[in-house]
Amino acid sequence: MKKYYPSIRALHLYFGLLISPLVLIFCISVLVLNHTDYINNRYPIQNLPVTKTHIDKIPYDTSDLQTAKNIIKKLGVKGEIDFIFQNDSQISFPVLLPGFTTSIKIDKQTNDVLITRKEEGAFRATNFLHKMPGPHNAKLRGNSFFMQNWKLLADGVVYLLLFLSASGIFLWYFLKVERKLGWVSILVGIILFTGLLFFLLT
Amino acid sequence: MLLKKITYTNRRLHIHIGLLLVLFIWLFSISGLLLNHGDWKFASFWEQRKQTKTITSIHIPSGLDSTQIIKNILLQLNISGEVNNVKMNADSVDFSVSYPGHVNNIHTDYKKSICVQNKLSYNIWGKLRTLHTFNGANKNNPSTTPNWLLTRVWRFSMDGVAIGLIFLSVSSWIMWYKIRKEYAWGYFALLVGFLTAIYFVILLRS
Repeated sequence: MKKYYPSIRALHLYFGLLISPLVLIFCISVLVLNHTDYINNRYPIQNLPVTKTHIDKIPYDTSDLQTAKNIIKKLGVKGEIDFIFQNDSQISFPVLLPGFTTSIKIDKQTNDVLITRKEEGAFRATNFLHKMPGPHNAKLRGNSFFMQNWKLLADGVVYLLLFLSASGIFLWYFLKVERKLGWVSILVGIILFTGLLFFLLT
Repeated sequence: MLLKKITYTNRRLHIHIGLLLVLFIWLFSISGLLLNHGDWKFASFWEQRKQTKTITSIHIPSGLDSTQIIKNILLQLNISGEVNNVKMNADSVDFSVSYPGHVNNIHTDYKKSICVQNKLSYNIWGKLRTLHTFNGANKNNPSTTPNWLLTRVWRFSMDGVAIGLIFLSVSSWIMWYKIRKEYAWGYFALLVGFLTAIYFVILLRS
């Protein structure tokens, strides 16, 4: 097994460095998600001026999503289209980017468009990325280029994190100086983990 | 000398904090994958949920405020968990009590003195998913804090894991910097990682 040590060490180091900034996104967002009130007070969401415009014709297509895609293309808005609401009088949907939300509302009778935008900042951007793609709205999710990439990246970070933790254990095991204290760290981790889950799940 | 001591301590902390957090990292990694892959058939939980309905007779003493009423009901039913979605009416109260993998929707009718519990229990996959998101946050009211002690403890441990991982990331840069000549590709790996993070967090919306 020891013959693999140099290559595992190199992979642990390179993969660790590669994903460390992305791990920071997930970690900072945990703090943001758990302390939303603090972030809201310290860094409030900025509502940008409302824009009113008009489109000559609603570019209806085969599906609501395709129609919404055509609309944002016409309006020059970029992002991930979220829940689309449509009835006889209006069509509305938000368009999401990490830390920025654009809401589009179109009056079907007049073709008047109301665009509201919110600048949510870098902390909420990490929050958004952490939750994406997520379990909700699965049929719609991934309708933008950036979300398709983020989906792959988020999975990649998790798989590499699993590899890093497993390879970390492997590397530690061959460090005789740290072996005893390492067992203590593992044991404390097991006690904390199982203790917490026992009380939470039963 | 001091620098040497710092880098040595940094390395030791990297190893031992990593080992301490390993089970938590696996839990949040696997549950994160489950949340992002609702289409994984083997991990379906909603279809396998167990639903039970229980009707219990209950006595609500008069002169209590809403918080005391809910506490009293929980005490009589001998249940605990994170309370949310409270709807108080003149002659009834509705709320839900949850802990990872379980949601109990409770309707209490003061006049009839009965309490109807609709309990949902999830399988192991559902429990894993809810552990990932169980922080007592209320999307509609961000100023609310967790009202169950174990939610607070779990949220605190989530913060701890996050801070631990931030330390592991930063300490890895310090460790690599010391041996950067032997591992020169580290510059490239770190640069790609940072550029990707900056692109998603800052550049996309500018």
